Amino acid sequence: MKAKLLAYTPLKPLREASGGLDWRSLLPHLGYTFAVEKISRACSHQLVRHRAASFSQQSQRYITVKRLSERIVTPPSVAAAGADEFNKLVGEVSEAYQRLVEQGVPKEDARFILPNAVETSLLMTMDGRSLLHFFGLRCCNRAQWEIRALADRMLEEARAAEPEVFNSAGPYCYQLGYCPEGRFTCGRMQEAVDGYKP
Amino acid sequence: MRLTLVAHTPHVEAMVAVSMLTTTSGAQPSTLHDRLVANPEKVKEVAGRLEVQHGNVMEHNRLVWLVEATDDEVMEAMLDARYLAFTRLGDDRWLMSGNLRAVAEYAGQRDTEFAGKLVESVKDAAPTVHSYIRRGPR
Repeated sequence: MKAKLLAYTPLKPLREASGGLDWRSLLPHLGYTFAVEKISRACSHQLVRHRAASFSQQSQRYITVKRLSERIVTPPSVAAAGADEFNKLVGEVSEAYQRLVEQGVPKEDARFILPNAVETSLLMTMDGRSLLHFFGLRCCNRAQWEIRALADRMLEEARAAEPEVFNSAGPYCYQLGYCPEGRFTCGRMQEAVDGYKP
Repeated sequence: MRLTLVAHTPHVEAMVAVSMLTTTSGAQPSTLHDRLVANPEKVKEVAGRLEVQHGNVMEHNRLVWLVEATDDEVMEAMLDARYLAFTRLGDDRWLMSGNLRAVAEYAGQRDTEFAGKLVESVKDAAPTVHSYIRRGPR
């Protein structure tokens, strides 16, 4: 997995043009574009639920998935369990996919048998407000491990680029000073807050 | 009405090209970005094929304008262009932002002074896309 901030709207010219508005007021006008690479399709399905964002994702209609077994994200829990069944099934799917493509089945149809574990890469663009919300939800201890790891890497990139805005970003407990998850709280708020201090 | 582009994400057209090739080429987007930023001719060639691509490839950028206009003029723009964001700075002064797709779609739907100025304002930041917006889809 890789996350790289490719482009962003710098805060300084906006602050000057606005006569010195606080960065919080400028959030809707700030834009951030990330290259998100080699995540699973299971993870990208979660990403695109953030609707106030733009996505351009590798298309399985146009790009043939070659050597599927080398382009798979294996969850740590599956690896810890030995992954034999997982790897066996991936191998079988890989062979079946290749056979279908060789038989002339369009890639857009052959892809129907591909698993959620298959790797994908995409461009993602969010405004500042949406990105803070994304970090609030996806850096949380309750987020699924892969999208949480992705959010953490994106946060590192964002903090390096614009620390004034993103040093206060992280899971909502860190942003708000309390946990908004109610009865679903992880119960480890202080640990999370300490972990996100710059 | 005055409209001034005060900031934008860098390499606007290179990012359009990165987006177009990410969906179809199999190369990693960060690799495409590094290659294309160093090759303006390739960017022009890829962005020149924009008419056969989907509009979302024009969304990976952010453009910010200072708008000097009356409340009525701004209200009209707000109602017409849902994907432009506005912040009031003072009497007849606004900060406005959006992406190239919002510009292209607004210009395609409205033939107003505001639409004309909006399109002209992106000429330097995105010359190929500017030409595409002015001529419309083939």
